[in-house]
Amino acid sequence: MHYCSACHKAIATVVVLDLTAGAVSGQQQLCAACAEQLGVVQTKAQIKLSSEILEDLLGGLKGKPTAAARRRDAGCAGCGTTLQDFKTRGRVGCPRCYDTFRNELLPLLQRVHEAQSHRGRLPGRRPEQTAGPTTAAGSGAGAGAVPGAGSAGMLSELRRKLEEAIRGERYEEAARLRDELRTAEAGEAGSRP
Amino acid sequence: MSRRRREPEPPPFQPGEWLQGTGPERDIAICTRVRLARNLLGFHFSPCLSPAEAQELVRFVTEKLGEPGFPEPLGVVDLATTDELERTVLVERHLISRDLAASKLARSVAVNTSESIAIMINEEDHLRAQVFASGMQTQAAWARAEALDDALTQRLPLACSEEFGFLTACPTNTGTGLRLSVMLHLPGLVWAEQIDKATNTAQKIHLAVRGLHGEGSRALGDFYQVSNQVTLGRSEQQILGDVSLAVSRIVQWEREVRDALLRGSARVRTLDRIHRALGTLERAQILSSEEALNCLSALRLGIEQRVVDGFDIQDLNKALLLSQPGHLQRFTKTRLEPEERDQRRAVLLRETLGCAP
Repeated sequence: MHYCSACHKAIATVVVLDLTAGAVSGQQQLCAACAEQLGVVQTKAQIKLSSEILEDLLGGLKGKPTAAARRRDAGCAGCGTTLQDFKTRGRVGCPRCYDTFRNELLPLLQRVHEAQSHRGRLPGRRPEQTAGPTTAAGSGAGAGAVPGAGSAGMLSELRRKLEEAIRGERYEEAARLRDELRTAEAGEAGSRP
Repeated sequence: MSRRRREPEPPPFQPGEWLQGTGPERDIAICTRVRLARNLLGFHFSPCLSPAEAQELVRFVTEKLGEPGFPEPLGVVDLATTDELERTVLVERHLISRDLAASKLARSVAVNTSESIAIMINEEDHLRAQVFASGMQTQAAWARAEALDDALTQRLPLACSEEFGFLTACPTNTGTGLRLSVMLHLPGLVWAEQIDKATNTAQKIHLAVRGLHGEGSRALGDFYQVSNQVTLGRSEQQILGDVSLAVSRIVQWEREVRDALLRGSARVRTLDRIHRALGTLERAQILSSEEALNCLSALRLGIEQRVVDGFDIQDLNKALLLSQPGHLQRFTKTRLEPEERDQRRAVLLRETLGCAP
């Protein structure tokens, strides 16, 4: 057991070897504190909590609106509703909003209805005859359905999976989940029935 | 501390269409409701609707609904000038939503005399047209709603698109704008503790299960409303099929559970519970709205399963309405403090059910 050659107080735990032309030409024995202070060892990188990695991954989702989003955020030409208004209220302000916020609406509609377009009646038009069975208790319960999941439930489920993937260092999966989460969050506001 | 007010005579307190107690599966299915969400072009949707626009919209729609040739003669109630108690009565009769009752904007409801049609004006959507049919009558209710929708379409410029169907303020209603719900009385599933299972199963196939007064309300008196969640990407007939099939399965499940509750060793416990409820209705001096609804639920089960006799289901329906705060005060023509209400309710229910001791 050696005392630290710098402070002579603490027990040395770090051995620094001086190498000259591949051969050991000298050595220093330092305690951890002195070794760090002298810069001979690199401070161990603070282990990132997976939640922080998650935030890094999600960085693009928050606070950095795309150019398109900024344009939309000038507001709907029909009523002045901004993307932020739409997300906060979960309601649109006029028929034109359906065009203005189409990009946000489509994933939202997909999540809520598992469909993105209308099949029923319209003024002056009867509904198209659909080939599918009209009974079907199971009709809505197709593969991939998340039973009873509200938007909050689904988002937190995605976040949980993402965090798990990061923790398990499955980064490809994490990237895929991040994209899914991004899509889901795009329509976050309007999910209440 | 009652403040007597002079008010017009209350209407005969007969239940409206939703509580007729008739129709297929009437022992379990109380009422079928079709609700169509529609918006008008030329007006902002509710989140952006100004008070002046709201006023103009009510005027415009009222005028159109009153045009000769409208298939259903409707009377329009201006909710902005109707007092709170009257609005509560309308909520309890399921003709308007609590949101519409509480709104600050100009708003109305157009109702027919049998209360089988009620069009809310300036709810979350400009129009929420509702058709009620007693018991489980999804096709009949839809046929009537479709005719009503045709009439609306001919008279009003409705917001719609090929892609998204009828456009609504909340994207969760867009497409058909159709919400089909059946109000079910499910004491068997509740007592047998299978109601959560039933509710979860319904939710898995994308149906919503809600309480007596719809969204966010509790399942008072063991009443549950089962309705479709999905309005886009499925035709009206598909939605009708989805809801009908699920509801008929729940009805069948409830029947099986009721039978089981009245068999073997479970029977005496079930009878005990029903008769205790009856005892309360006959003897209680103070009855809260919630307790009244629960006792009436047990009594209804007893009547439907023929283990209690001497009661008419129509009287029970009347009692169900009168036990609610709005009807109670309207009927007694008195504004009552909650405690006075509970006393009055106990008396009134005994009278209505004809079981005064």
